Amino acid sequence: MATADANAGVPSSQPSNPKPRPIVRIGTFLISHSALFSLICCAAGILALFLLPVLAKNTYVSENALMPGSANPMFSNHDTMEANRLVKDIMDLKLSSGIAGIEISNLLGKYMRERDADVYHHNFHVQKNQFHLGNFFSDSSYSWHMKENRSCSQYGINTVAIIRAPRGDGKEAIVLVSPYNSTNIRLSDALSLGLSYSIFSLLSRVNWLAKDIIWLAADSQYGEYASVAAWLKDYHNPSFLDSDKSDDCTCPESNALLSSKGQPNTGGSRFNVFRHAGTLAAALVFKVVDGKEETKDTLSIYAEASNGQMPNLDLINIVNYLAVHRQGLHVKVAKLYSVLNSAWLRTVGQIFEFIGKTAKIVNPQWGFGISAADYVEGTATLASSIYYQALGIPTGSHGAFRDYQIDAITLEMSPRFSLYNEVRRLDFLLRGGRLLEGVIRSVNNLLEKFHQSFFLYLLSAPSKFVSVGIYMIAFMLLIIPLPMVAASLYSGPNKRESSARTNNENPDTAAAIVTSSGSKSWKWLHAAKVVFVVHLWAGLVSLIPYLINQLPERTPTACMLVWVLLSFVSLIILYWIAGSPYSYKISHQSPNMEWAILKAVMISVASIGLGLMSIINYATAQIGAIFMVPMCLLAHPLKHAGNAGKLRVLSLTTSNMVLAVIGFPPAALLLVKGWLEGFDGVSFGDFWIWAETLWTWNSATYLYLVLIQLPCWVLCMHILLHP
Amino acid sequence: MAKLRRFWGWAIASMLFRLALIYFPRNLNFGFRPEIATPVTSLRRLAEGYWLKQSSMSPYAGSMYHGSPLLLSLLGPLTAKRFEGQPSHIACSLLFVVADLVTAMLIRTTGQYLQSAYSQSLKHLNLMRHLEASAFHPAGDIAALIYLWNPLTVAACVGSSTSPIENMMVALSLYGACLGLSPLAAFGWVAATHLSLYPAILIIPVILLLGYGPDSPPRKLFLGRNFGSSGYESLPQACHFSWRPAVYFILWASIWSFFVLVLCSISLMQYGGLFEMFRRTYGFILAIEDLSPNIGVLWYFFAEVFDFFRDFFLIVFHVNIMFMILPLAMRLNHRPCFLAFVYIAISSMLKSYPSVGDSALYFALLGWFVNELADMKCSFFLLCGYVGVTLLSPVMHNLWIWRGTGNANFYYATAMAYACLQIILVVESVSAMLHHDRTMKKSISQS
Repeated sequence: MATADANAGVPSSQPSNPKPRPIVRIGTFLISHSALFSLICCAAGILALFLLPVLAKNTYVSENALMPGSANPMFSNHDTMEANRLVKDIMDLKLSSGIAGIEISNLLGKYMRERDADVYHHNFHVQKNQFHLGNFFSDSSYSWHMKENRSCSQYGINTVAIIRAPRGDGKEAIVLVSPYNSTNIRLSDALSLGLSYSIFSLLSRVNWLAKDIIWLAADSQYGEYASVAAWLKDYHNPSFLDSDKSDDCTCPESNALLSSKGQPNTGGSRFNVFRHAGTLAAALVFKVVDGKEETKDTLSIYAEASNGQMPNLDLINIVNYLAVHRQGLHVKVAKLYSVLNSAWLRTVGQIFEFIGKTAKIVNPQWGFGISAADYVEGTATLASSIYYQALGIPTGSHGAFRDYQIDAITLEMSPRFSLYNEVRRLDFLLRGGRLLEGVIRSVNNLLEKFHQSFFLYLLSAPSKFVSVGIYMIAFMLLIIPLPMVAASLYSGPNKRESSARTNNENPDTAAAIVTSSGSKSWKWLHAAKVVFVVHLWAGLVSLIPYLINQLPERTPTACMLVWVLLSFVSLIILYWIAGSPYSYKISHQSPNMEWAILKAVMISVASIGLGLMSIINYATAQIGAIFMVPMCLLAHPLKHAGNAGKLRVLSLTTSNMVLAVIGFPPAALLLVKGWLEGFDGVSFGDFWIWAETLWTWNSATYLYLVLIQLPCWVLCMHILLHP
Repeated sequence: MAKLRRFWGWAIASMLFRLALIYFPRNLNFGFRPEIATPVTSLRRLAEGYWLKQSSMSPYAGSMYHGSPLLLSLLGPLTAKRFEGQPSHIACSLLFVVADLVTAMLIRTTGQYLQSAYSQSLKHLNLMRHLEASAFHPAGDIAALIYLWNPLTVAACVGSSTSPIENMMVALSLYGACLGLSPLAAFGWVAATHLSLYPAILIIPVILLLGYGPDSPPRKLFLGRNFGSSGYESLPQACHFSWRPAVYFILWASIWSFFVLVLCSISLMQYGGLFEMFRRTYGFILAIEDLSPNIGVLWYFFAEVFDFFRDFFLIVFHVNIMFMILPLAMRLNHRPCFLAFVYIAISSMLKSYPSVGDSALYFALLGWFVNELADMKCSFFLLCGYVGVTLLSPVMHNLWIWRGTGNANFYYATAMAYACLQIILVVESVSAMLHHDRTMKKSISQS
């Protein structure tokens, strides 16, 4: 980009220099053939994207200290009996709806205390995330929490137990999270609690622990994420001033119950004191679901945290290794099932398979071909990986840990047989317990934080990944045409003008040269102003939901209408203040040149925006680039298309119109939704609902859509409608 | 008149914009950004130093504060002042807003003076066609508005760093020198040097300004034109160096620096005196003791370099600035203000703790030469580069420090890109200026 843009001004202004440096010549060559090169680059970018499943590498445990599976598991049948005992106790509890949560947490507390653990109950209030601008990217330690009206209705109790490691110094800890729904406890929840408990009781007996173990039984009646996030917030930002007071004041009855039930002699306050272990090294969220798998007991791994962040690949590696090679489980990661049956993807897979086979015949050492079925499978997994990263919404409560730089994944086990089958259940518990023990033992061996393996990767199977170095190629190829075309558009009018000037130049008018060259060098000022105004408008648009949220009694459709209306009005007001983009006319600047320069500036800004977004969240940028790059490159005024052949004009106009529709974020969303679910259920307010989810999860995708894609679309509209 | 009203409208709007941002400081956290508040300019550190001094300890204890003791006495009481319901440090922030306005006014007046002097000398050369043909932009207004509305200036002002004060002193010094007020120029120069050391190199442009007067076309052009007609006496001031204001300046500078040193030594009497001050302020700047990341290129280098090479490279990097001073002074001695711009840009690139406040100043000074630099190359590329780097730098920092998925190289890459952009800016602006001189020469020889 540097060379391309730097060269933009060079060629015309240094006519005296006969032979420029090679790099300059390469730059000018690329710029002068930018249409061809951008076509090649875009095609190569799309191809590289489809090649990603083929290029995926097998995972490997990178950190030597982990040593997964090197010790014999100590988890035995005795421990499974222990788990079963807790499961029975939980299911036997007379669950009256109001105090069920308290009963269970008291029961858990009792069991935990039997193991000589530090136990406390963590009371938390669920704070509904409101739209708040400061929340995006704000780091947890600095973030500013609004004081909200707390009510007893949104009130949960986590039960937390800590084992102090006999060989550790108390500086590090591993977290085991087992979420359960306290208002409606099911057997699967009880099983995950029971299994966690049996692991916990085993760990309280072993002598190899070097890190403290924290078991967090998270009350997930308001969502799994909320309870874990609340606990993490209190763990990292202890509040000394008001938390105890307000908790005690607002909900006296729950506190009284908790204390009287637990330990009548010592008083309940002892178990409400927040206790800490060291820094959290890793966290495992463990769940059992009643899935009824077909062939084997299955383990599903969920890893995506907010804004496309992933835990260190080593954590997934050891889980996968232990589950497959030690416990014989079937390991799954999320897939997009709608992709699996698509015929054309299968065709693409067969083509790649054929190429791979041919290559193998030519040289037996080239082993890059994969079978078509594998390819489709890999693509489905990869697509889901990209989709969840692009959405920027964590796929489970492990996402809360990533905000504090803690590597965490969710392990979801589902058995082959029904959970009510007692014999099978014990076997299932044994496997799950040994898996968890192995993972914890492995993480316990770590000497430093996870750092050896990748943080930036996409999974194409549980044991296959595409690293940042490979998937960035696809993105870069897609985005390279933008600066190139910007440079060629920018220097194009220059050349035209200077050649025109050399034809009818008068040797006397030196001053005139000074003038015209002056406006030539700064001719982008007006276009930059237009682009700036549009981006300023986009910033306003991104803030409007904050105002709309203050309205009482709002429906999604009404909100969306107000949003669109206010955006439109603010755009008109801004144009009224700063001057319409078409108002600028000076004699020596042809309209042809004017839109070219506007397009050049727009494309440069778009490439900066996409580049930035690729660093914040690669997946969003990749998907956005597929929409935005063609839209930017093909934008051409509809009125000025008349010079070329009829077919070309027609195709240019059609593609522009199509891109103009799908480039507009709400339209694109509605189309995708209509395509997936049928056009009957699509309503105008859907985009509002979707955007609302994005900002409640602080997803940068919202910022991308409003601050990068939307202004780019508006500018494209300007160019299309250029007089 | 309408233009004047428009200027004031924009200036007041920029003030209001700053006030609005100051009111939401906790959402922005500008004061914690390494790009804005460096160890030398951070107001948080100043508050800490003031607190130490109030509890009868040396303000330099504990390596928190590294600024001037006078700034401590001026700003310290303001940092301690709290208003109910208002953000902390609001008094200081208001002071910085005023400082920005004063700087902008100084830049504006200087720019207007420069422009009128320049058109005088063009008249002298019978080059008025230049003026009539090209739309002559009001350089002073443009420079002042660039200063007021530059996002970097706004960030430096809102982000509670002391760079608005430093910038004001530099602007004051250039203003005094342009108008031939030796005492004022000397005061600005001494204060700026005392606050951040690097403006010391501005002594050359200031003396040239006082001796030759403000920027003018190359002196040879006057000589070639005027010898025939009316002789040496009628040459404008630009052609002979007048020693009197320069000597006055040196005299005043020594008086002011003596004054400043006395004040400092009184202020630090119990805490180790002047030697301690020199060691903890200038020593801290020159020895690059704090290696926390910033937008400069030195922190990473000195974090990596072997200890026994450290002194050698310290000398190399500081002499680097010195090496560029003399050749530039010789080539650009007819344009002292432009020379000052180049010096400020170079020092903000190579200084040990750069912040965006420094770039804010040289961008404004660039506005003075908007007519001369009309055919500067790569202007659009520079704009894109600055926008890109300004946005990329916080993202990379977030990736490295908060997410933990990046590393120091990510952030340092943006620092290097920033330095490269500054180099391109300096090179292109100087070559555009020289090209402008050449065009003028050509048009004179033609007529």
